[in-house]
Formats: sequence, C-alpha cells, structure tokens
Amino acid sequence: MSKYAFLFMDDGVDYQGDPTPEQQKVYADIFKWFEVNGSKFVDGGAELQPTRTATTIRKGTGKVTVVDGPFIESKESVGGYSIIEAPDRDAAIALAKTWPGYGIEIREVLE
Amino acid sequence: MPKYVLIFINQGDWRANKSEEDLTKIYAPIRSWWDELAKSGVGKGGQELKPQRTATSVRRVNGSMKVTDGPFIESKESVGGFALIEVDDLDKAIAIAKSFPGGDVEVRPVVEH
Repeated sequence: MSKYAFLFMDDGVDYQGDPTPEQQKVYADIFKWFEVNGSKFVDGGAELQPTRTATTIRKGTGKVTVVDGPFIESKESVGGYSIIEAPDRDAAIALAKTWPGYGIEIREVLE
Repeated sequence: MPKYVLIFINQGDWRANKSEEDLTKIYAPIRSWWDELAKSGVGKGGQELKPQRTATSVRRVNGSMKVTDGPFIESKESVGGFALIEVDDLDKAIAIAKSFPGGDVEVRPVVEH
C-alpha cells in the first residue's frame, strides 16, 4: 500500500460564499463521498477557506515579507487535501475519478 | 481554537541533485521545528509530497473526469507539503510560518465542520 495526497482542486467556486443551488448540490455530494470512502483515508486533512483568505510568507533574500493572497494566482486552486492509502496509483486514480467536485491532483507522499 | 494549514511551497524539484548529506543538513532544523510544534500541541499533523513532476491530475471536462500526467498548474512553484496547526488567530499562524526554517509558506484558514 502507498500513501497518496489528494489535492482537491476548485475551479473558482466559493462554497463558503454564495454558492448556486447547483454548487450546493455538488458540496452535498462531496460530503457523501467522504462518508462512503472514509475507510480509505489515513488522514482526513482539511478543507481550506478560499484563496482570498490566504496569506503568503516570502523569505526571498533574507528579508521575510508577508503578503495577502495565495502563492499562485490562478482560477484553479487547492481547496483542501486528504491522505488516502491505495495499493497503487491506478487505484488512487480510480478513486479520484469518482470525486463529485471539479478535480483532484494526486501526489505520492514522501515517507 | 481555529485551525490553519501551512502550505509549504517548493521551488522546482529542489531535492534533485542533493546528496544524502545535504538533505540531512537541510532537514535537521525542519525536523526540530516540527517536533517542537507537535510537542507543544500546536502541530496537528503534516505531510511532505513527492515533486510535482510525479503528479497525476484528474479534472472534470464537459462532465466527465479526464486523467492527465502532471500537476494542475504548471509553475516553478508548487505545493511541497502541508502542516495543520491549531493556534489563537491568524497572527500566530503567520508567526509560526515565519519561523519555518525552510522556504516560502502560504497560510490558509480551515473550514470548520
């Protein structure tokens, strides 16, 4: 078994703001997805507040700066993460394909 | 108490071309930093990820899920790992991010359920 991080990706949706009925349905389906697949998680991880709440700490040239916003400005952004355990990457991909939301970036965990 | 996620930002594939000795030197202060946070109860778990060139992306396109090699966002900077912390407020979370003995860090509040 290997551990994979699922980076849950959003496409600009703001579930904490003012979601459309369609988005609320997806959000409800996501809750169900976590219930159904609970046994595959080794770490539930966290759901993140939208990127507009992000703060980034830069340590460039010895001087530490604190700036509002995420480290990459992009329509697609990380909305949360979980760690799953699967026999191999194909099994992780098969699970990711059942995700009711926009997308998942799969990354193996460095042990 | 509110929870925050520290997203560690990797610059490219920084581990490549580093010797075991280099890596040990780089990781030593990071390990002590994390051990300290865990001991004090602030650190609630974390992971380091393999580099983004190993990523697989599953993305909804016209209603069906499409699988592609590589990360969602092609960029020199990428998510290198996560740490979940529990502190009084954002200022404390920022102070901890500043004290991280590695690279840049994005701080994001967690949605409480």
